[in-house]
Amino acid sequence: MTDAQPTPGPLAGLRVLELADEKGQFCGKLLGDLGADVVKIEPPGGEPSRRVGPFLDDVPHPERSLSFWYYNTSKRSITLNLKAAYGRQLFRSLAAAADVVLETFPPGFMASLGLDYELLCQQNRRLIQCSLTPFGQTGPWRDYLSSDLLHMAAGGEMASSGYDEADVPNGPPVAPGGGNAWHMGCHYACMAILAALVDRTLSGQGQYIDASIHEACALTTEAAIASYVYRGEVLRRQTGRHHAANHTPRTQFRAKDGRYVCALLGGRLNPRFVRNLADLLDTYGMAGDLRDPKYQDPAVIAESTSHIIDDLVANFIASLPAEEAYHAAQERGFTWGVVRAPEDLLDDPHLHDRGFWKQVEHPELGRSFTYPGEAAIFSDSPWQLSRRAPLIGEHNLEIFCDELELSRAELVVLAESRVI
Amino acid sequence: MTDAASRRRALENVRVVDFSWVRAGPWATRWLGALGAEVIKIEWPENERGRLPSTTTPQHLEVNLNTSGNFNDTNVNKKSLSLNVRSAKGLEVVKRLIAISDIVIENFSSRVLRNWGLGYDVLCRIKHDIVYVSMSGYGHTGRNHHYTTFGPVAQAVSGLTLLSGLPDKPPAGWGWSYMDDTGGMYGAMCALAGLYHRNTTGRGQHIDLSQMVASIPLNGPALLDFTVNGRGSRRAGFPPGNRAHWPGTPLLNNYRGPTVAPHNAYRTHPGGYNDWCVIVCHDDEEWQRLIQVMGSPSWATSEIFATLTGRLQHQEELDQRIEAWSMTLEKYQLTEQCQSGGVRALPVQSAEDRVEHDPQLRHRKMYSPIEHPALGQHLVQNAPFELSRTPALNHSPSPLIGQHTQEIVEGLLGYSHEELCSGFADGTFWPANRTRFHYMEEMLR
Repeated sequence: MTDAQPTPGPLAGLRVLELADEKGQFCGKLLGDLGADVVKIEPPGGEPSRRVGPFLDDVPHPERSLSFWYYNTSKRSITLNLKAAYGRQLFRSLAAAADVVLETFPPGFMASLGLDYELLCQQNRRLIQCSLTPFGQTGPWRDYLSSDLLHMAAGGEMASSGYDEADVPNGPPVAPGGGNAWHMGCHYACMAILAALVDRTLSGQGQYIDASIHEACALTTEAAIASYVYRGEVLRRQTGRHHAANHTPRTQFRAKDGRYVCALLGGRLNPRFVRNLADLLDTYGMAGDLRDPKYQDPAVIAESTSHIIDDLVANFIASLPAEEAYHAAQERGFTWGVVRAPEDLLDDPHLHDRGFWKQVEHPELGRSFTYPGEAAIFSDSPWQLSRRAPLIGEHNLEIFCDELELSRAELVVLAESRVI
Repeated sequence: MTDAASRRRALENVRVVDFSWVRAGPWATRWLGALGAEVIKIEWPENERGRLPSTTTPQHLEVNLNTSGNFNDTNVNKKSLSLNVRSAKGLEVVKRLIAISDIVIENFSSRVLRNWGLGYDVLCRIKHDIVYVSMSGYGHTGRNHHYTTFGPVAQAVSGLTLLSGLPDKPPAGWGWSYMDDTGGMYGAMCALAGLYHRNTTGRGQHIDLSQMVASIPLNGPALLDFTVNGRGSRRAGFPPGNRAHWPGTPLLNNYRGPTVAPHNAYRTHPGGYNDWCVIVCHDDEEWQRLIQVMGSPSWATSEIFATLTGRLQHQEELDQRIEAWSMTLEKYQLTEQCQSGGVRALPVQSAEDRVEHDPQLRHRKMYSPIEHPALGQHLVQNAPFELSRTPALNHSPSPLIGQHTQEIVEGLLGYSHEELCSGFADGTFWPANRTRFHYMEEMLR
């Protein structure tokens, strides 16, 4: 992030208006990091997701939410009260020149303000609007309340995640954390918006997208639906590994330093695999009887699965720090991973080689902070964070005065009357 | 369906050469197909991974290359060309195909396509504006590019696994390959962004996606809590199970939204394996509404629960009390009562629940039947969005392996029928010593 003009991203030149809370802000970030000019439209005083922690130095303040910071990179911010008539008029002016409107209001809210897609596209046939809502615009649950946890329950994530009976007797279904229900909804919404944009390059026309977070979550449990549809199976939860109709061997082992290693073995134990495994374990003098020629017989391997996994592999991993076991195994072609905490990633040289970490300047604080970067490296049009999350209404002047040609005096009046 | 099926689709006239296998890559191209692209899956039975091994073949059918249920759901909307790309003739065929395609996508480990003689430089010479999406485990650059992943490994290394579980227990992790589903989404997003860029600038590119790296940005707030505040995730009370905060541990945000109670899963009647409901109250008002829904029991009006901090402090007792009530109701009944009383609640749903009992998914037609020549008629999962003008539709079942070889080789690429037959004889289109499926015999007539 230098002063030099950066190479434009794949979505350069597109204007996105984002009216999104915690449900949709990640979608706006994806579009912004991909190069679109995302203008976040916040209610006067700021979007409520600015109140979600953690906060810079644990001081709660709408400009210090790290959650907001993270999910709103590469955006600009204006404030606008859509409940005020003039606020709606300003929004219509913006929508007339925009490419995408992304909104997460309850179904019917935009229409109740006279801002439904049919009206907006009368003045801009190229406009794409995506309404990303908990359950979509129709149906018996349309107006139900939701949250990340609620979506992980109804979407099926929880039914698949949890513990072996031996680890936590009668344990609950567990919802993985991190706000991933919102991520799932945003990934699908982003994909739909990108598809509409590609279509528009040829058709010249926009369209309306009704996206449902519940459906996105219900789609994100790999083979769970197929197991039921094709075999009538309802899968059971297992510690640190795949749900299954019948108990499968464990894949998560505790290393010497108390951390865990994910060592995928089950279903892959054949003579060649066992020879390679013996080589790996032997490097550390831990091969036990695994070099015994009897293990070249698949029937013997099948009988010895528990011995190989629960004795040899478990002891091998228990004898090493988790990171060492991970690298040793990967270098020999084993698809194993170390269970890291997010902070462990900062030192990973592979990520540094890829330029993954970004220094993002927060000029108002006179500091810069390290942010996680992008999923992929684009060779011709980089996916990259272009700036820190905006302050509340930071770009009111640029948008209202420079673009919509309001005077500064008008801006003052609009601020006083809570229109902006 | 017929009305929607006749409409234009977003990726009409886009052709995708799809080398992807297992799950993440095929999940990406499934959506490109639903959006209207012609997706040509390049397969070879000797090193096929995705059709076999199959744990989702219906009990009454033989497990073979054409009977995996999960493969069917993951590979709708595609055609299959069986082709030995590692033979000179096979390579020549695939190059002819790439020359008339828009996107090349694969999810092999990082060196495979280059070793086949199909690195990005070669692809560009064949088709100057090709959009090449590689979906490898660790990416094509970086010192560990040769490392390999499956979903659970990407999840472990990226920090996602650690986000899931109860304090002082091993990580529960994700009970499926979340990063195969999500890696697929990134594959599709990258392909579409690359296509948009090509359509607007005339330039293609190589998009180097990594499944492991793509997982990391899903931990954003936790990472910033460390890089900004110096606070790591290895700490007492993290992860807090289904709660927003684990009682008796320092009061910190745990990256799932606001720190509130109640925020948990509760058992429901009749107490079966998936008889659970989650209930969340974001503020005092929502808590007061839950009290009403529960019938205003005297314990609930106790002062210790009146404030958010009180509820967080006495969460153990609060959760026990709520569960004593929730056990009296069946999960859909409880959901209905809570939601009509303005309380956030939804049932934990298994796959069976989603397919059979979820009224919203039924209304939205989330699952619809599709006829497969070997599997028969089964439900497949539809798109979680509606595009008003260019719908995303599942228009065809997954292909049988090599089902479209003749159509592609003769019809699309213009090889003669004799060349097709000799390609079958010399092991280009099917291993010469392997039994052919009946539809292949028909191609050779």
